[in-house]
Amino acid sequence: MTEKRASGGFYAWLLQRITGVVLAVLLIAHFIVTHGLPHPSGVTYARIAPRLATPTWKVIDMLFLACALYHGLNGVWMVLQDYVESEGMQTFLFGVLCVLGAILFFLGAITVIPFAVQA
Amino acid sequence: MAEYTFRIFRYDPEKDEQGRVQDYTFEVQEGWTILDALNHIKWFIDGTLTYRRACRHGICGSCGMTINGKNNIACETQIKDLGTSTITIEPLRGFPVIKDLVVNMEPFYDKLYAVKPYLITRTPPPTDRERYQSPEDRAKLDGKYECILCGCCTSSCPTYWADKNFLGPNALLKASKFMLDSRDEGFEDRVNCIDDKHGIWRCHTIFNCVEACPKELNPTKGIVELRRLMMRGRL
Repeated sequence: MTEKRASGGFYAWLLQRITGVVLAVLLIAHFIVTHGLPHPSGVTYARIAPRLATPTWKVIDMLFLACALYHGLNGVWMVLQDYVESEGMQTFLFGVLCVLGAILFFLGAITVIPFAVQA
Repeated sequence: MAEYTFRIFRYDPEKDEQGRVQDYTFEVQEGWTILDALNHIKWFIDGTLTYRRACRHGICGSCGMTINGKNNIACETQIKDLGTSTITIEPLRGFPVIKDLVVNMEPFYDKLYAVKPYLITRTPPPTDRERYQSPEDRAKLDGKYECILCGCCTSSCPTYWADKNFLGPNALLKASKFMLDSRDEGFEDRVNCIDDKHGIWRCHTIFNCVEACPKELNPTKGIVELRRLMMRGRL
């Protein structure tokens, strides 16, 4: 019989790995597409902006944003768990990280989603 | 014969408010281990020096300590292999010091008991033979059963230093030994304790335990195999 139980960090751990892999793939893509590696070309508004305004790249950039925020903030959370002993303080800091993540996600979203090429 | 200085951590709970370092300088004989040097000090120089030892050939796990900053068992550490003429000897880190090089291992054993380090079965054994295990299944336990409980791994783990409730590499290696044993049926008995805030997901794969183990075991590998097992159970 498998009883239902709360996990002590399985999903956080799994998501950290998944977002890590996604970030690696997206970063390589970013350096190739935006910076033109292995033959770097000028990162100019005229070259980059039309691509960023397409729906496909808006989805990719939102994914990038979500993964980077989760991966980074979860990393900070792990460090905090190692250095902050009090359970109450840990809960408070977890809340701070969640709010910080939400604010940064919102700021990212209002930058990425409505983006249009300026004439 | 060469002269060595041993800088040894001393702490007497009845006299000292905190630990201090005492130097002992003498000539050691060819082939001496750290344990031989400690015995020499205790028997001929300073009988108050306190440390644990029993078998003196690397099987009892009593003489785990920090030697020149690295955890090892004293009886298997050759003095000349350390490459320094001044040798620092400290009690295992992360555990409360009782006296000199003797630490309280209770927190370490508590973690071990928590993972139920024994074969758990539900089905009755066959009547005509022992519980069968194929050579392939038996081979899966290599590198997991040889642990001598010296505490070098858990004492070297920064995650354990930060979180004294963390199970630590030793208990997790032991858990992996039983959970990956084809005869064991105690997955559900152990999983709650391991899949915990202070359990298996807390390991940051720092690999200090691998470096510290005097038996050259790989607790991190055991932890990774256990994570894979837990993942299959969840997804």
